[in-house]
Amino acid sequence: MTTPLLVIKDLHACVGDKEIIKGLSLTINKGEVHAMMGPNGAGKSSLSYVLSGKQGYEVTSGEIVFKGKNLLDMSVEERAREGVFLSLQYPVEIPGVGVSNFLKHSLNAVRKHNGEEELDTINFMKLLRSEANSLGINPEMLKRFVNVGFSGGEKKRFETLQMALLKPSFSILDEIDSGLDIDALKTVSEGVNNLRNEDNAFLLITHYQRLLSYIVPDVVHIFADGKIIKTGDKSLAIELEENGYASFLKED
Amino acid sequence: MKESSLIKNVDLFLDDKPSVYALRDRAKKCLFDYGFPTKKNENWKYTDVKEILIRDFDINQKQCDGECCCKNKAEDSYFIEFCFCAGTLHVEDFVLPEGVNVIPLPLMLYEGEYKKYLFNAFDLKKHPFACLNGMYLEQGLCIIVDKGIKVDVPLLIKYKNTKSDNIQMNIHNVVVLEKNANLSIVEEFYSKVDNSYLLNIVNEIYLKENSELNHYKIQKESKKAYHIALNALKIYEKAKYKQYYVSNGAKISRNENEINLEAKDALAEIYSAYKVSKDMLSDITTNVNHNVLETSSNQYAKAVLEDGAKAVFQGKVYIAKDAVKSVGNQLHKALYLDGDAELCCKPQLEIYADDVKCSHGASCGEIDEEQLFYLTSRGIAKDVAVKLITDAHLNEIYSLIEDEVIREKFII
Ligand SMILES: Nc1ncnc2c1ncn2[C@@H]1O[C@H](COP(=O)(O)OP(=O)(O)OP(=O)(O)O)[C@@H](O)[C@H]1O
Ligand SMILES: [Mg+2]
Repeated sequence: MTTPLLVIKDLHACVGDKEIIKGLSLTINKGEVHAMMGPNGAGKSSLSYVLSGKQGYEVTSGEIVFKGKNLLDMSVEERAREGVFLSLQYPVEIPGVGVSNFLKHSLNAVRKHNGEEELDTINFMKLLRSEANSLGINPEMLKRFVNVGFSGGEKKRFETLQMALLKPSFSILDEIDSGLDIDALKTVSEGVNNLRNEDNAFLLITHYQRLLSYIVPDVVHIFADGKIIKTGDKSLAIELEENGYASFLKED
Repeated sequence: MKESSLIKNVDLFLDDKPSVYALRDRAKKCLFDYGFPTKKNENWKYTDVKEILIRDFDINQKQCDGECCCKNKAEDSYFIEFCFCAGTLHVEDFVLPEGVNVIPLPLMLYEGEYKKYLFNAFDLKKHPFACLNGMYLEQGLCIIVDKGIKVDVPLLIKYKNTKSDNIQMNIHNVVVLEKNANLSIVEEFYSKVDNSYLLNIVNEIYLKENSELNHYKIQKESKKAYHIALNALKIYEKAKYKQYYVSNGAKISRNENEINLEAKDALAEIYSAYKVSKDMLSDITTNVNHNVLETSSNQYAKAVLEDGAKAVFQGKVYIAKDAVKSVGNQLHKALYLDGDAELCCKPQLEIYADDVKCSHGASCGEIDEEQLFYLTSRGIAKDVAVKLITDAHLNEIYSLIEDEVIREKFII
């Protein structure tokens, strides 16, 4: 068997004094899509921050191995360049920083890390326009400041655009479906499906089965109180949608 | 007055002409009577110039660094260029548009016609470094734009000092816009990374009725330079002055504006964007005198302060008894990078009239961690991410500049 893309073993993590991740283990192989569902406040977003190395989310025990390397030794930017991508639940507005300038810096940092040539402005803009076009993003948006004045749905499309440009090997999509209208949900899902291949993997955090009918997962996890309490296939999500969390939480 | 090694005995052009000698002597007497500023001087409370006064800076005697761009209008140039090289005006043979007159200061002193504009926009007693400048009155430009002339080519005045070390340069410019005239002036200061010198510059600016001046000042100087500037203005009816200033500092840098709004509907706006690094001091001091009714002023500054930097922002708005319906605003926003920086922000409102609109505000913040996370989580190195965020902070000022070529020059 090939080595898994990501292995998390008995992970514990805190924010301040508060333990939020409480003994989580998870293995994700290349080519897989995992969905993670769980009640509000369970710690799903926190897990995504721990994986991307955000300051303030401190791992107290356990390990995370990504592509055979210790992820916890890496800075935020190193993880990103290695292929970890987090589509944020609430993308951050950065007034004064232009979208294309930001994306050019980002893409070239990743390309450089991969030993590829950095793109000049002309070639970068060509690529950007074509990726934006296939995600139904208005080119006017590329002239604006990062996330400033974007609608909820536009922000999510913009996160997807970044993923499409960077082609990460592991993408965590934290509620990529929130705030999307039905058409946008389709476009964004198509965008994600187009990126799926045998070498990358996805972790979809969502509250709704609907997303999973567009992006069909291989594995579904139920996450509550800082850990995974049940794992199954896509039928688990359907069951969950019908019965809610109550029956699973009781079992525990 | 305490001795200062900045005061030298030198032979100056036209010292034998009584009227010129009298001007220099007036400035000298004033300096000797009132002295260099100390921290007791309200206007210089936060900026200690002691270390400048003890420096034995030579008066520069016309050494050019040989790298001058001596043409004032190269074929393909966007600007009409003038160059002060190590403090000395290098070209004296100008090709100028109709209605624009540029006279080197020595010639102006010799002819005497425009002498009324010297030491007239400010009070020598209140500006000791301008007195020092006046003692050495010799280098400078006098720019006169005739009535109704709208100049569409910006003037670029370069002040460069790439070779000389340990010198003092005193430059005195006069700008006069006659009725209905328009002009843009770009002042660009640059030097080597580590040469030390004093650049002491005075600009006296007179904006007659309904004229408009855009004044751009770009300061990219040595970390060991001392830069003392006074922009003194008299602005008349419906005339507009806009200053855009960008600086990445000097050992001590002071950009002082003394603005007199002399007639109804006169307007002055001062926009500053500056970065200050470790062991540097940047001082922006503005004094706006609303002398008559219905005049407006606006001061807006944005700063990026690194560890160990010091910034001083003094903004005084004086509204005379009769200056009703005047508007005076000032705002300073600082962004601290990690570590300690010192910011002395002193807004001052002195209002003697009723029915005026005045405001002042200051804010300071640190780099937003969420923004920094977002950028780095896309693979961008932390220092690059910090630069993107600080540039964005200053960009709000640059974005006010309509001329793209000039705006490009502002990015520091
Ligand atoms: N920076 C923080 N400071 C304090 N508490 C935090 C912080 N981040 C997360 N928490 C707390 O940790 C818990 C888990 O939050 P998290 O955002 O990870 O939940 P979630 O599973 O993503 O919820 P939702 O479904 O509502 O998005 C919550 O109680 C939250 O208040
Ligand atoms: Mg969440």
